[in-house]
Amino acid sequence: MKILVCIKQVPDMESKFKVDAGGTWYAKTDLAWRMNEYDEYAVEQSVQLKEQVKDADLTVLCIGSDQVKETMKKALAMGCDRGAHIADDNASGKEPFEIAGIIAEYAKDKNFDLIFTGMQSQDRGSAQVGVLVAEMLGLPSVSTVVHFAYEGGTVEAKRELEGGIKACVKVQAPVVITCQLGMNTPRYPTLPNIMKAKKKELLSIPVQELLKVDSRQETARIYFPEKKGGGLVLEGDIAEMADKLIQILKEKTAVLA
Amino acid sequence: MEFTREIYWNVGHGALTLVPMYLLAAIAIGLLVRGALQRIPLYKQGLPLNRTDQVGRRIAIMIENVLLQKKVTRVMWPGLLHGLFFWGFGLLVIGTTLIVIQADFTDLLFNVKFLKGTFYKLFSIVLDVAGLVCIIMLGGLLVRRYFFAPEGLETKRDDAIMHGLMFTILITGFIIEGSRMAVTEMGTPLAIWSPVGLVVAKILGGIGESGLLLLHKLTWWFHLLLVMGFFILIPLTKFRHILTTSSNYFFSDLGPKGKLINLDLENEESETFGATSIKEMTWKDIFDADACTLCKRCQDRCPAFVTGKPLSPMKVVNQLGEVAFNNPEANLIDVIGKDVLWSCTTCRACQEICPAAIEHVGKIVELRRSMVLMEGEFPGEEVMTAMEATEVNGNPLGIGYAERGDWAQSLGIKPLAEDAEVDVLFFVGCYGSFDKRNIAVAKSFVKLCQAAGVKVGILGKEEKCCGEPMRKMGNEYLYQSLAVENIEQIKAYGVKKIVTTCPHCYNTLAKDYHDLGLDVAVESYTVFLLQLIADGKLKIDAADLSCTYHDSCYLGRHNDIYEAPRKLIAAAGGHLVEMEKNRAEAFCCSAGGGRILAEEKIGERINIVRVKMAADTGASTLLSNCPFCLTMFEDGVKGAGVEETLRPKDIAEILAERIH
Repeated sequence: MKILVCIKQVPDMESKFKVDAGGTWYAKTDLAWRMNEYDEYAVEQSVQLKEQVKDADLTVLCIGSDQVKETMKKALAMGCDRGAHIADDNASGKEPFEIAGIIAEYAKDKNFDLIFTGMQSQDRGSAQVGVLVAEMLGLPSVSTVVHFAYEGGTVEAKRELEGGIKACVKVQAPVVITCQLGMNTPRYPTLPNIMKAKKKELLSIPVQELLKVDSRQETARIYFPEKKGGGLVLEGDIAEMADKLIQILKEKTAVLA
Repeated sequence: MEFTREIYWNVGHGALTLVPMYLLAAIAIGLLVRGALQRIPLYKQGLPLNRTDQVGRRIAIMIENVLLQKKVTRVMWPGLLHGLFFWGFGLLVIGTTLIVIQADFTDLLFNVKFLKGTFYKLFSIVLDVAGLVCIIMLGGLLVRRYFFAPEGLETKRDDAIMHGLMFTILITGFIIEGSRMAVTEMGTPLAIWSPVGLVVAKILGGIGESGLLLLHKLTWWFHLLLVMGFFILIPLTKFRHILTTSSNYFFSDLGPKGKLINLDLENEESETFGATSIKEMTWKDIFDADACTLCKRCQDRCPAFVTGKPLSPMKVVNQLGEVAFNNPEANLIDVIGKDVLWSCTTCRACQEICPAAIEHVGKIVELRRSMVLMEGEFPGEEVMTAMEATEVNGNPLGIGYAERGDWAQSLGIKPLAEDAEVDVLFFVGCYGSFDKRNIAVAKSFVKLCQAAGVKVGILGKEEKCCGEPMRKMGNEYLYQSLAVENIEQIKAYGVKKIVTTCPHCYNTLAKDYHDLGLDVAVESYTVFLLQLIADGKLKIDAADLSCTYHDSCYLGRHNDIYEAPRKLIAAAGGHLVEMEKNRAEAFCCSAGGGRILAEEKIGERINIVRVKMAADTGASTLLSNCPFCLTMFEDGVKGAGVEETLRPKDIAEILAERIH
């Protein structure tokens, strides 16, 4: 069995973000980088599948500068067998269709039985790459998966829908799965596996070799949401506070009308 | 008359006595040696560890603690009973040896007798009183164990054997003396030099001479047999502590106190890290089990045990021994239990009190290392999250690393990257940098330095967690990665002195980083500030403060800094009311050993128990010296319902409030 898991390196969401000079993305200074959280579930699920079927080869793919190799090493330490690094110093400038195009180009002649991606990335959040890859490869895809089971070529997945409802889907491999948070518990890599990961194959492929599609959309501007008012804390005597509150509710809302 | 006595009186000094006696002695001592030697291969199952360097220092520790019983007597009543018994029994052994030397060597070969005259009188009374002291102490220990057993004291077959045998040996000794005196010394001036023997002689006097002679002879042989039995039983029962506990002092960890063994993570050969089997522990870890006398002093002081968690340090040590001696293939983590291992706060209360020089904490960390490094396991998901947060942002709180120095912006101090010409580097730590309550402490410290004219610098966003909680949780890999990066920064700026307000950072930078190449002087802020006051650079206006003081485990037991913080409190005008558990006996706040990262799910909350102890002093301020303690106490005063009456504060804060 051949499995592909696609990951992305994203800034830690606790970082202090600033808009970059071009105004179309965030500045890359003072950021701490990590694996996209959704992709951690994808890696864990693909490793679990590999452990289940035993005879499997698991490739982790990541697009970006040399810096993303650090994150790829974590995926290798978690249990991926080899890494495909698509070297691209301007990955953040590419829109989801291009990213999907690169992955599909890489995967098209490799006969993957299963392709896992995160449901979306924490920074761009388009949630398009996984499903686009499936479309480009002519494969079925199941998105927003919270439960995954595989038996003899058949995937049984549960998709998370609105309002706590889940959809059960049965599909034959090959298939693309996009993973939702909570799908499993991503493992903490063990030290022997961290050491082994350092020696695993990690090939870099220039992005030019794989980028065969044109971009279809453009980011016009990114900006912080405007601050609209703030909270108000009333202090003092309870009776006075109650009067003030009634006054505010009368003046600024329609609840007492 | 000549003050002496005939040795071998009544039993005879011929071959009929000496041959069987020495034959028995040879057999008994042979069995003793054989029994002891048979245990050596069991210890050797463990990994090598050099504990035979600095022989002089080791012997000094041994003298202090074996001959002088220093640690044993630290717990007063049972300690004194054991100590006096030990000294009394020691005198009896010396006395008996003198008799053997005179009777069978100096007198036999050279006609030299030294047990005579004034020396004999002294010899006689000393042994007589020593015997009585031994009986009384043994009686006291027996009453304690069998009638008023304190909670947790385990009594086994060995204890009955030991009490029975010792008691019979001492009593038969007095019967031998009494029956001899009844025949030979009644009415002589010598008799009063054996007062206890004299009383026994008077009691036995009615038997008549022939009866006394028979009683004496039979009891003499019986006593001899018992002593031989005692020799044989040493390696087979808890009597073995005579050998093992004494030796364990020799094998003590000579420090730096509590420093863990640095794992070699570069070694490509090693496939396992930490320990799951007894073969992966050191020989000393196994030997410790044989040195344990089940006195349960560790257990009594273990904050985890006392608050209903499954950990007993004594039990862990003995489970290791049980595996080593009876079931060497067993998985130690399965035998001991994960919850047990995760419960430890590495507070060192067990190790500090142990009268057998056993090292508990390192064993637990070694087993944790295996769980974390080999299995990727933690006590809870929150701990794994904290570990991952530290990997990404260099702090377990998960706050963006770039904000690490923001707290200091208003204070006019700069990161070394901007100005490296400073008197001291303030290694702030994660809580001082990110936690609102502890930022107040960091700011207070900086204000104090500035008032004293000391130029302070910080690493700011180049500082990372010191790695202490991770290391104690078993994550040696993460600890070493953090340490190496911090050391690189510190070295790059040519820092000459580091001061910390966190005792965990202090302990790690001062001791653990040494193994990874840091050679800069590191000081706790308590010692540093006290020196500034002593030098007249820092002036504090004392103002009354009702307070109690909590010795953090890592400033106290791990580093023996007890007085500097108290002197600072005095300088601030604090009226210190000590809690019952203070200094080396202080009760942990719950957050050591990486537990700051974990939720406390089993038993009573340790921090609330400690806060209640502080509230019981009636003081209105609970002073501490550690960001973890402060965090736990801020939480604890709410849990204990005393937030209105007891305010947790750091020493730096009360000093900063009183700058002249």
